[in-house]
Amino acid sequence: MSVSAFLTDPTLCIGCKACEVACKEWNGLPQDGLEWSGFSYDNTRRLGASTWRHVLFLEQPRALGPQIAAAEDPFRWVFLSDVCKHCENAGCLDACPTGAIVRTEFDSVFVQPDVCNGCGYCVVSCPFGVIDRRPDDGRAFKCTFCYDRQKAGLVPACAKTCPTESIKFGTIEEMEQRAEARVAELRERGYSDAHAYNAADTSVGRTHALFILLGEPEAYNFPPAPDAPAVHLRSAWTMALVSAAVGFLILCLAFLR
Amino acid sequence: MPGLGTSFGRGGSTTAPGDLVNADAILIMGSNMAENHPVGFQWVIEARERGAKVIHVDPRFSRTSAMADQWLPLRAGSDAIFLGALIRYVIEKHREFREYLVHYTNASVIIADEFRDTEELDGVFSGWNPETKSYNPASWLYRGAAPSDDVPPDLSHYESDPTLEHPRCVFQLLKKHFARYTPELVEAACGIPQNAFVRAAETFTAASGPERTAAVVYSVGWTQHSNGVQVIRAAAILQMLLGNVGRPGGGILALRGHASIQGSTDIPTLYDLLPGYLPMPAFGPGSRSLADYVSRHRTRTGWWANFDKYIVSLLRAYYGEAATAANDFGFGWLPRISADHSHQGYWLDMNEGRMEGLFVLGQNPAVGGPNARLERKALAKLKWLVVRDLVETETAAFWYDSPEVRRGELRPEEIATEIFFFPAAGHAEKDGCFTNTQRLLQWHEKAVDPPADARSETWFICHLGRRLKEKALRDPRPRNAGLAALTWDYALEGEHTEPRAEEILAEINGFRTSDRLPISSYTDLAADGSTACGCWIYSGVYPGPGQNRARERNARDAHGHGWGFAWPSDRRILYNRASARPDGSPWSERKKLVWWDDAAHSWTGLDTPDFVASKRPDYRPAPDATGDAALAGDKPFILHPDGLGWLWVPSGLKDGPLPTHYEPHESPVRNPLYSTQQTNPPADAKRGPENAYAESPDPRFPYVLTTYRLTEHHTAGGMSRTLPHLAELQPEMFCEISPQLAAECDVRHGEWVTVVTPRGFVEARAMVTPRMRQLRIHGRIVHQVGLPYHWGFRGLVKGDAANDLVSISEEPNVRIMETKGLLCNLVRGRGGEGPAALRRFRSFLERPR
Amino acid sequence: MSREANPRSESRLDAIREEATRTGHVAGSGLAASASPTPSSSPAAGYYGLPLLKAPVWTWEVPLYFFAGGVSGASTAIALAARIAGRAPDLELAALWIALIAALICPVLLIADLGRPSRFLNMLRVFKRQSPMSVGAWTLAGFTGVVIVAVVADEAMRAGLAPAFTGGVTWAAEILGAALGLVLLSYTAVLLGVTAIPVWSENRRLLPTHFVASGIGSASALLELFGFLVPATQMVGFIVSAWETLVGASIELRARAVDEPLRRGRSGWAARAGGTLAGPVALLLRIFEGSSPGGRELAAACFLAGALITRYAWLWAGRASSANPRALFDLQRQ
Ligand SMILES: Nc1nc2c(c(=O)[nH]1)N[C@H]1C(S)=C(S)[C@@H](COP(=O)(O)OP(=O)(O)OC[C@H]3O[C@@H](n4cnc5c(=O)[nH]c(N)nc54)[C@H](O)[C@@H]3O)O[C@H]1N2
Ligand SMILES: Nc1nc2c(c(=O)[nH]1)N[C@H]1C(S)=C(S)[C@@H](COP(=O)(O)OP(=O)(O)OC[C@H]3O[C@@H](n4cnc5c(=O)[nH]c(N)nc54)[C@H](O)[C@@H]3O)O[C@H]1N2
Ligand code: SF4
Ligand code: SF4
Ligand code: SF4
Ligand code: SF4
Ligand code: SF4
Ligand SMILES: [Mo]
Repeated sequence: MSVSAFLTDPTLCIGCKACEVACKEWNGLPQDGLEWSGFSYDNTRRLGASTWRHVLFLEQPRALGPQIAAAEDPFRWVFLSDVCKHCENAGCLDACPTGAIVRTEFDSVFVQPDVCNGCGYCVVSCPFGVIDRRPDDGRAFKCTFCYDRQKAGLVPACAKTCPTESIKFGTIEEMEQRAEARVAELRERGYSDAHAYNAADTSVGRTHALFILLGEPEAYNFPPAPDAPAVHLRSAWTMALVSAAVGFLILCLAFLR
Repeated sequence: MPGLGTSFGRGGSTTAPGDLVNADAILIMGSNMAENHPVGFQWVIEARERGAKVIHVDPRFSRTSAMADQWLPLRAGSDAIFLGALIRYVIEKHREFREYLVHYTNASVIIADEFRDTEELDGVFSGWNPETKSYNPASWLYRGAAPSDDVPPDLSHYESDPTLEHPRCVFQLLKKHFARYTPELVEAACGIPQNAFVRAAETFTAASGPERTAAVVYSVGWTQHSNGVQVIRAAAILQMLLGNVGRPGGGILALRGHASIQGSTDIPTLYDLLPGYLPMPAFGPGSRSLADYVSRHRTRTGWWANFDKYIVSLLRAYYGEAATAANDFGFGWLPRISADHSHQGYWLDMNEGRMEGLFVLGQNPAVGGPNARLERKALAKLKWLVVRDLVETETAAFWYDSPEVRRGELRPEEIATEIFFFPAAGHAEKDGCFTNTQRLLQWHEKAVDPPADARSETWFICHLGRRLKEKALRDPRPRNAGLAALTWDYALEGEHTEPRAEEILAEINGFRTSDRLPISSYTDLAADGSTACGCWIYSGVYPGPGQNRARERNARDAHGHGWGFAWPSDRRILYNRASARPDGSPWSERKKLVWWDDAAHSWTGLDTPDFVASKRPDYRPAPDATGDAALAGDKPFILHPDGLGWLWVPSGLKDGPLPTHYEPHESPVRNPLYSTQQTNPPADAKRGPENAYAESPDPRFPYVLTTYRLTEHHTAGGMSRTLPHLAELQPEMFCEISPQLAAECDVRHGEWVTVVTPRGFVEARAMVTPRMRQLRIHGRIVHQVGLPYHWGFRGLVKGDAANDLVSISEEPNVRIMETKGLLCNLVRGRGGEGPAALRRFRSFLERPR
Repeated sequence: MSREANPRSESRLDAIREEATRTGHVAGSGLAASASPTPSSSPAAGYYGLPLLKAPVWTWEVPLYFFAGGVSGASTAIALAARIAGRAPDLELAALWIALIAALICPVLLIADLGRPSRFLNMLRVFKRQSPMSVGAWTLAGFTGVVIVAVVADEAMRAGLAPAFTGGVTWAAEILGAALGLVLLSYTAVLLGVTAIPVWSENRRLLPTHFVASGIGSASALLELFGFLVPATQMVGFIVSAWETLVGASIELRARAVDEPLRRGRSGWAARAGGTLAGPVALLLRIFEGSSPGGRELAAACFLAGALITRYAWLWAGRASSANPRALFDLQRQ
């Protein structure tokens, strides 16, 4: 089994949301509310328990590389398809008390729906705000990396559907290389703010969803320097046990006095 | 399609989406390809990645604009000026592809001396009859061609000047005609700054020539105008001037709509055509007998010299053994056109109570039809209505659930219309065939059985026909003779007695009547009744028993041969003879497609040659030759009687031999070119109390309104507003306006606004966005309002139908309504419910003009 | 079509339109306000100001569980301290009973909060060191068992049933119970601190001290309310409310942006109210009213209320913190 990854490139994304719909169709997900957001054309707003792929729509007063969009004030409309990052050090996986979240042979992070008891701890442990609990069902859900499809040798539904290959799928090494090559190419073509978003340098480690971004990650609601919560385990436990010990000492003192 | 049909010979896209990868520049205009043809748009992206420049000209910054290299915002309805200016730019800067132009188009042909241009007659061409509001096109003919009412003009012999200097040659007339289409005019009338225009013009023309090609992509942003055909004509002229037709990466990609919308003009759902673009006979002298009819439509030279073979074979397919030479092959049984029976025409008839019943099969006019308010009310005047659909559409539910019912205009208990709703099988629930944008027939197989009582269209039509025929056989009145004679012997199979779709395809393909063996090409068709063929251009799709080429799924090459079947004869790029020089060698190595192989004595190449394969490039016809033999070996446009591409259309159009600019029926400005001719002269606005228009300009309606689609929904919404995964993506009707217009109307982002036109009002959420730009038109600021038209009063997400605002109007050649250039006003707040809202609307109209 | 009813805005509209026509743009006053800006995505606002992180899904049961668990765990520690000192056997037994009752409430609250309550036992499917919740679940399970043993053994011993044996068991159970109780008391701070929620995560060093102090203080205050107004509980009361005062002061004085939810909004008010009740109010009551009748009970009640409120405050602060992408950006850009 090869270790696979996504690379998503907004300069190729036409914002058709086919990936979002394909994901819902393949995974039988319910709709996520029929409410108009007014956030450009994005009415699904964010990833969640029932939206495992989400396409962002950014209207920004900046030029898109060499694009000429009317004469005066610069303007661009950027689309990016977001998804669970399938972190090497996954906050959700570490946090899960039931072992419902496991790592698969594709190195992806998979929630076993028959094990999850809806404790909600993964929800606050994902530094990317991906996984969530579905209110009616009570369990936590997120992208499965199309485990079932990959198991059968198929490309994930979202990548398969993408008409423009904005979502690329392949081995993680290949995707990492392509990300760098693409950034270099884009910069050469005048996309001066293109860069690869990759958490590899942070405590999250390598991720299986790589992105090319135009401009700051903040505008995409991507954490600029994500942290895997588990790195704080040692310090927090030390503090807890020290506090408890001190507390007990104080009690002993109080009673012995 | 007459825009392309008259220019090149066939009313179909000259190229395929996949061929766009070969383009060096792509002009997308009047199309939002990324949103409405997202899968095809991958080729645009691919071309861009390979270095092609993509130019998008559109009133709005859409998802297509977001992917383009250049976006030029223009005022809706000013396309002809933009394209005219490109034409002028090419001529002015000598960017034309001379050799191509001289050999392959009618640029050098001398035109009749009687011809007068709009530039001389202030907006009309010679031949205009103000009484009948129509043209006599006699003066548009080539010099020396004799006009006749009884036969098509003979255009095979003409005077020409290969130097293109003769003042009456097409090229010079063209040059004069477009002389006023300057960058300054573009700036003033379209709102596009001159420098932006020049940059786009440079980009596009620089990508044309022997080594390069540029493509034009359009869709309904061009067609749904009262001068839509002329706009497409302008694009055709541009592409011919630059030598971009028939070559890889060139051409005009007419993006079609629904799956098989191309199929539904090939085998038409239109009232004035028979399959294969044979004209429907009309009452009158031209259709008294088959001979009459044939003589009017068969040309002496060019491919249409075969006209008789196609109509006779069609009649043989219709009437089988009952069609004999003695009875004109049943020609007399064909219905005749008596009036305008287009959508626009019959709906007005219905509204006036002149129609009894209506079948609505896979259409939702209560949302998608122009002046939908009028159309819904007209439905209530029918005696019966049959709706076949996947869901109970607004059209089926108008009588109890429409805004008219809520506003008290219609009362269910008073509606006498008897309504039959039939559940239809969707495309995955039946076998069948789509003909898509690139004229590609693709077979689809049934994946699941339709649920419950849902049945396919073929089932419905087949059994309806069977029952009608039984009735006709019992009733010997002469009017039933045609029905009684109709062959209707489809084999029925299975539990639901379904006909076999493939049997129908075989009938369409054509067969020898003697042994019912399929023919392999339309060149096998004959006029003596020995062949039958349902649609001549499709011949070859079913070349042998059990051999369905539409089902092929193994593409052998980049043009997709081996995947489906493109009519005619699996040609992927039409007129591809033009990809070679007159001598038969490719214009360039980079752009080679089809060429003459002297050793093999045949045309060959990467595509099926759109040419008689054995006709040598240096072939010269005898003076009295007829048919295709009358065309020389360097005449690529073989359906035209002269084998040329028509910069100039000597016959076949109702509104002039050259395109020119007319304003939409409603415009914020006067026509900058003609003081007395505001709109396309023969375009009938079909004015009426319920189909009223704003003045041009009109202080009550200061803003330009245009309507369009969103990726997330499909047309009238029956197939998307009912599906949760699509409904959630665009849950509410909104209108797009610029921040400046929002300021002017005191509207905040997200607030409700009411959009008003003389026909109606709809409410929508205000989407205030810099994607909409205010334009400076003739020194004034003009604002545009954009409105998607997908919502209706049923489904998971509901909203007002934009078509309540649109008028029933028409383009004279194809009778399409003008949905892309209207006037409106914008009022803060919701439209309101009940009769009070209607009263407010009426008082709004009574405001001073 | 409300415009018609308003001739003033109508005439203003005409004026604006006229100006637009004449000059090509509109500069008149009041316009900027009426054309509100379209929401946008930017480095400053994030993606339309939408939350980056997911809000904690936990409901009212969880802070109450934190509270109950704290009381329960701390009570065993008090019981053991009392046993070691050997001075207050009644208090010791009462503390054990409190620990037991509170411990039995805990799973009820936990189960109630689960999205799939029927799968509560899945908590004990695996033991995961990296998951504070797993550690907590196992701790609670073990702790409850041990406390039951401790209560039964202590009661048996007092009833004179095989005193040598039951006494020994009591000792062993109380030592083990206190050890587990101290974990139960403090792990909830780790649970919050080791998450992606900035206000929790950034307070991962402060939270354990706060939870330990307030848990011990609550257990002790409860004992006081049951009448154990012994000097030890008074001393514990002093120390914990002094500590709570310091915790509150540090949040206020450091004035970190990430702590904003502890100072503003609903969660801020709860944090301040709870912190004030458990901190300065309880402290002052003990200093000035400690000897007057009812004074200590009042201090104890204030502390209990404060401790309970701060538990809620921390959950709410977590929600507010998750909703504000700016705080996260600022933190990560430092
Ligand atoms: N997702 C999706 N895809 C579809 C459909 C759908 O409903 N949804 N419908 C299908 C059908 S039936 C069709 S016909 C095609 C239509 O495909 P398109 O022609 O792309 O459809 P529209 O969105 O109606 O209009 C295209 C563009 O024309 C612009 N426009 C409006 N007025 C003017 C004008 O005066 N000049 C110019 N140059 N542009 C103008 C609009 O802003 C819009 O961006 O799409 C097909 N594909
Ligand atoms: N304002 C404005 N109006 C427009 C346009 C515009 O751009 N602006 N565009 C125009 C254009 S290009 C078009 S094509 C029209 C489209 O307008 P319509 O054709 O009226 O709209 P659709 O929603 O496509 O209707 C198709 C119906 O067929 C049903 N259906 C699908 N498959 C089957 C089947 O196999 N059998 C049967 N019986 N039913 C089936 C669907 O459920 C749907 O209700 O709208 C036109 N109207
Ligand atoms: S992005 Fe979040 S949900 Fe996805 S693997 Fe990483 S921590 Fe888990
Ligand atoms: S909610 Fe489910 S998946 Fe998430 S941590 Fe709890 S048990 Fe694991
Ligand atoms: S990989 Fe599968 S589950 Fe994940 S977003 Fe793509 S389609 Fe959805
Ligand atoms: S399918 Fe591809 S192009 Fe469409 S929104 Fe998703 S990533 Fe973008
Ligand atoms: S809906 Fe069908 S026809 Fe339209 S873009 Fe998608 S795949 Fe192509
Ligand atoms: Mo269409």
